[in-house]
Amino acid sequence: MREDNVVAKVIGKPIVKLIDVEIGYKNGETLVKIPDLEIFPGEIVAIAGPSGVGKTTLLRTIAGLVRSISGTVEVCGRVVPHRPKRGKLGYIPQKLGLVRHASVMHNVMLGANAGQKKEIIHRNKYIQMFSNSVLSLFPSTKAKRKSRDAIEKMRLTDKIGEPIRRLSGGQQRRVATARTLAQEPALILADEFLSELDDETMETVLRGVVTYVKNNNAALLVVEHDVSRAKTMADRLLVIDDGRINPFITEVTMIEVKV
Amino acid sequence: MITLKSKFISLSLILIMFSFSILNGMVDDWGRLSGGIENLFIFFGESLWPPDWSVLEPQNYPVCTTYPLFDFTCSTAWIGMTETIKIAFVSTIFGSIISLPISILAARNLSSLSLSYFARIVLAAARSLPSIIWAIFFVILVGFGPFSGVLAMTIYTVGYLGKLQYEAIEGMNNVPLESARSMGLSKIEIATGVVIPEMANSLISQMIFMFEYNVRHGTVIGIVGAGGIGYYINLYLKFLQYDKVISYLIIIFIVVLIIDFLSISARSYFNEEGDISKPSWWDLFIPKMKRVE
Ligand SMILES: Nc1ncnc2c1ncn2[C@@H]1O[C@H](COP(=O)(O)OP(=O)(O)OP(=O)(O)O)[C@@H](O)[C@H]1O
Ligand SMILES: [Mg+2]
Repeated sequence: MREDNVVAKVIGKPIVKLIDVEIGYKNGETLVKIPDLEIFPGEIVAIAGPSGVGKTTLLRTIAGLVRSISGTVEVCGRVVPHRPKRGKLGYIPQKLGLVRHASVMHNVMLGANAGQKKEIIHRNKYIQMFSNSVLSLFPSTKAKRKSRDAIEKMRLTDKIGEPIRRLSGGQQRRVATARTLAQEPALILADEFLSELDDETMETVLRGVVTYVKNNNAALLVVEHDVSRAKTMADRLLVIDDGRINPFITEVTMIEVKV
Repeated sequence: MITLKSKFISLSLILIMFSFSILNGMVDDWGRLSGGIENLFIFFGESLWPPDWSVLEPQNYPVCTTYPLFDFTCSTAWIGMTETIKIAFVSTIFGSIISLPISILAARNLSSLSLSYFARIVLAAARSLPSIIWAIFFVILVGFGPFSGVLAMTIYTVGYLGKLQYEAIEGMNNVPLESARSMGLSKIEIATGVVIPEMANSLISQMIFMFEYNVRHGTVIGIVGAGGIGYYINLYLKFLQYDKVISYLIIIFIVVLIIDFLSISARSYFNEEGDISKPSWWDLFIPKMKRVE
């Protein structure tokens, strides 16, 4: 895996930028404090740390699903609560978030549709939203092709019409990955997307994602509880270390990975 | 030690005793109960039984032109019952088409707080009156006949089905919604691409349930002149021909039973995992228990 995994060249503006961010849930205490974190295009950053420390919460904060307690979160040039442009952010949740009663193709098409540029522009944003949504009900051939390619990459072509609930855990994980690849986002947030996979399938999925990131100069932030696996894939590893400084607040420690 | 079980038992006892004391306050003479049973026997023997099945014979006017074997289709019972079923069907279809977008607006996990309040008020208003009151209202507005029935039942369906739908939608898994939102999909795309396919089974099964419900309740709206078999029941009640009324009631009972059964069968094709389990006739009377493997 290491051969094609070139250390990122730091080009242009960071895709993710966190300054003095404290993350956690509304009524709870701060889970993690991040003084400063920048992720650049083409970079793969892994996060490791014990269970329940707040790794998923960090990804959800970046995805704009949880508000940070304090600090600024900037994603794809927009400061949260402003959302990144449509389709710029791809998220593979730990619990996948697939439409269980719909087919593999339907789920992947959701991603492909999100990645399509909105064609109709109108000064009234509601008219624009509505007409584009109607338009998105008739998916483009381009979106279909992208979905098929992504499904092919994840080796799920024989399951393309199967509803998600009839797939194994690992197959479902690959569908979620295909959905994000078909979306072609600038930033991928992946939460333990390699669990439940056997070595060979894991290699396929990992190569698919890493190739996409490197070829498209996208950024990948991946939560990986397996530190040795994290080291093989990532340019940088962030370890969220539990409770050394303060029993409640944890600091992010950055460890550079040797190539 | 007070266990959960003994708490439950004493709470039930208190509630039962409380209800009896309220009932006692409303009943001035318990002797009327035994008199009522006597009356029932007299009424049953003299006027209700045997049922007058002439309601299944073709009417004199208009002249029945069907093939003789099917001349029961010209009977008041057949005409009334099929009209009730037609009203129920049409209002279920129109009602669900209208209620689905409103219930999506009403679901807290899909729309803003103010919008969801607004949609909920609309649904609650439609639901606040039983369909028979809506039927009276529409009979006044558009006149007698099944059209008033359809309007009344459609409105009630919107209110009732809408509530079932938004509660089901609010109970759906949050992760698919979150991932769709973080991708940047619009609300309409989330509704059509995530919510409706994910909830399709329960939405369809609720629709079938609503049809069954509408057939049951559609039998009464005819009493106020909004079409269906209730019209004839009301007619013969007025003429004190109770033996005809009882045959209508028996027909309604059988039809409702059949529709109940069909509804259970149809819904079993749309249960959570889509696994088909054929119900038996017994399921009508004894609901199926989850089998413990
Ligand atoms: N929706 C929520 N509301 C409030 N607290 C939450 C919520 N979700 C998670 N938590 C709490 O936040 C803490 C961090 O959870 P999180 O899911 O981020 O952990 P994690 O590091 O991803 O763990 P794992 O490796 O097991 O996935 C946990 O203590 C959890 O109980
Ligand atoms: Mg997690």
